[in-house]
Amino acid sequence: MSGYKTRRGKDISFIIGITILTFLGILPLFHIIATVFINGVPIIAKKGISFLTNTLSNGGIGPAIAGTFILIFLSSLIGLPVALLVGIYAYEYPESKIGRATKTLLQIMLEFPTILVGVFVMSMIAIPMGTYSAIAGAFALAIILMPYVAVYTQEAMREIPFTYREASFGLGLSRVKVIFQILVPLSKRGILTGVLIGLAKVAGETAPLLFTVGGLYESYPASITEPVGAIPLLIYTLVQSPSKADHMMAWGASLILLLIFLLIFIPIRLKLREVRL
Amino acid sequence: MKIKRLDMFQIITLPAVIFVFLLFILMLSVYFYNALPAFFREGLDVYFKNTWQASEIPSKEYYGLAAAIWGTVYSSIIGVLIALPISVAYSIFVIDYAPKKLKNIFIIISDMMAGLPTIIYGIWGAFILVPFLQKYIMIPLYKNLSFIPIFSYPPTTGYSYFSAGVLLGIMITPFASAIIREAYQMVPFTYREAAISLGLTRYEATKILLGYIKPAIVSGMILAFGRAVGETVAVSLVIGNSFNMSVSLFAPGYTISSLIANQFGNAYIYRHMLPVLYAGGLALFIIGLIVNVIGIYLLMRWQKNVRI
Repeated sequence: MSGYKTRRGKDISFIIGITILTFLGILPLFHIIATVFINGVPIIAKKGISFLTNTLSNGGIGPAIAGTFILIFLSSLIGLPVALLVGIYAYEYPESKIGRATKTLLQIMLEFPTILVGVFVMSMIAIPMGTYSAIAGAFALAIILMPYVAVYTQEAMREIPFTYREASFGLGLSRVKVIFQILVPLSKRGILTGVLIGLAKVAGETAPLLFTVGGLYESYPASITEPVGAIPLLIYTLVQSPSKADHMMAWGASLILLLIFLLIFIPIRLKLREVRL
Repeated sequence: MKIKRLDMFQIITLPAVIFVFLLFILMLSVYFYNALPAFFREGLDVYFKNTWQASEIPSKEYYGLAAAIWGTVYSSIIGVLIALPISVAYSIFVIDYAPKKLKNIFIIISDMMAGLPTIIYGIWGAFILVPFLQKYIMIPLYKNLSFIPIFSYPPTTGYSYFSAGVLLGIMITPFASAIIREAYQMVPFTYREAAISLGLTRYEATKILLGYIKPAIVSGMILAFGRAVGETVAVSLVIGNSFNMSVSLFAPGYTISSLIANQFGNAYIYRHMLPVLYAGGLALFIIGLIVNVIGIYLLMRWQKNVRI
């Protein structure tokens, strides 16, 4: 056994080390947020409100913002119903073979490289259609959205006390009624959290859109079967450009994207629940 | 075997479940089917050769993904090595030492980092992190220690495995720490009491408790590795995108996903490039699948043991 002094010395350096590493770990977030604001605010201040409405060549990202919202809306339309049903199934049969396989599949899909989803949807939808389109992008995003919402639905429902289940079945209700009319409404807050997390994720995805939506920044989207743009995709394109002016636009677009993300994310955290992305 | 009667509930939900399974299988088969021509033409060279000859003349085309596979694994390992100490320290700090009010804030911060759009990490990485690393880490190391092979490449641009690894480390840390934090919280309180009542210092007590959650740390790292392997846009903006195969940290490289992101658009011009990219996708698919299944399995097994 080493002496008291060395043990105490080790202890103190341990605490200091832990604290330093922790702050090193969260420092990037503050730095990222600060840099995005420092670089993004001037360009938006210079262009004013037209930054949000104009087309790219007129110094705005209007079509990209419109595209992002169209994609969020369409992908939830496609993904949410499936996600809820799958989540409810996984809750109802946690121990059956299919139930367990479903849960594992959801976990795998949660971790899945998103670019693979994009290429898959391209080969299934964009190529047969002969064009990039909003609908193809929405399908890709729906596949990414699905596991988030399903996992949260399942976990939210598992938190309902078992007695509620017993009581509902005790009333002689059918399984459909017990689940869809009693247990789902009871866990709606948890389910909503999952939906918001899924949307926050989908709003910022770039890779699945690379080969599905095509990009449209010079006019507003007119139809869901035609190409659209999206803010993350626009940033990706602008960052790779050699021009300084494009980089400024990219920072401005990043600020807007960050604000959209915070707008979805903060409500989740106000109604506090442990969230895992 | 008795055929069970399906009730209304299953009639409503089961189709959705089956749909998702079919979708996943379809995805795997699409990659496999589209990659087949590459295997027929080049055999295993697709994965084990480092060459990228795109040509107007189809017979001259030859592609190998070795550099991209190497870059994917190398940058992800750097990322995991960075994420490991930080995420463990972070979990210990948040659970044992952070004041109660700050605890929640710390958890919110790491959740926010996990959810932040990856393209924002990308733009920050390309414009801020890379120049910083080049100036303060790569150039000093190269100047003084370039006789060591891993520091031997001159960091002229800064876009390199190292930059990609650091950025990945930052991105996967919150994700790994969420898993480790949850596990560390599950350590039975009596263990803590026992360790303290032995008169151990905080360092010694923590060391023992960490031993208890070792499997969770391992699976957290495996899952984080899986995440790093699939990351696309942020990495492709900082890794330099060149067909290079080097152990030197400061050399530019490629990853499978950034290769797909960069080359897919113009692959249609060439006759044989597309199947090779699908083969890359298939490799990514299978690496992701294996890594995640192992990680999830280890985590579930550990959680089960703890509950008993």
